[in-house]
Amino acid sequence: MQEKSGCEKCKNCDEEKATPQWKNDFPISWDGDHYVSRREMVKFLTLGSSLLAAANWLVAWVWHRGRKETFPSSLIGSVAALKKEKSILFRYPTDKDPCIAVCTPSGELVAYSQVCTHLSCAVIYKEEELFCPCHNGVFELRVGRPTAGPPTRPLPRITLEQRGDRLFATGVEVTA
Amino acid sequence: MSRQRQGTILFTAILVFVATGVVVQLWLLTVSMEAVFRHDAHTAIPAAASSTVLFAINAGLLRYVFRFDRSMK
Repeated sequence: MQEKSGCEKCKNCDEEKATPQWKNDFPISWDGDHYVSRREMVKFLTLGSSLLAAANWLVAWVWHRGRKETFPSSLIGSVAALKKEKSILFRYPTDKDPCIAVCTPSGELVAYSQVCTHLSCAVIYKEEELFCPCHNGVFELRVGRPTAGPPTRPLPRITLEQRGDRLFATGVEVTA
Repeated sequence: MSRQRQGTILFTAILVFVATGVVVQLWLLTVSMEAVFRHDAHTAIPAAASSTVLFAINAGLLRYVFRFDRSMK
């Protein structure tokens, strides 16, 4: 009897050896720990959904804030000089924004950002159009629309105001 | 069909619906960001409103899941 009970005890001992103590204390398998139920997935996706909605509003707010930006009025030169030179370069609204003012063949005064909308090279006035020498991009003078080459977006237009003989830049208009 | 089996099918459908909604929201975000960078962001507010509606639907479905679980208990 003693031997038998001893054997049973040994069997129990073997079983205990087979399953370590920590497994009894923490009976969760690796796969089970990484298992994500449908409910958890729905919760996670809804959280993501709320973040995406917030991000969308943030983008809308940034755009709305940027739209209200006011521009200073800045003297860029004289009308007579522009009519004589056909084009003059200036910087507007900051010193880091190169622009070009052009007197069109019809006598209209227009100004655009000099930064090409393709890869930011400087456009120049050439043969009654604005030409980007980097990739042969061409913009027409009336509204700054791209007519040839890789650019797909028009040049931002600088609004001008004539006060006597003096010409002022008063704003930036960006169109799609 | 047992109520538990019904729940399983229902939650799979809800999961698919919510996932689709999130993908649409991602698309809306990329579209509105692209429009903002193009300086033509008239789509930004409608996109944000649509995204909010989708979030409301997703939240409603999640609430339904919780209520269903509570009724099962």
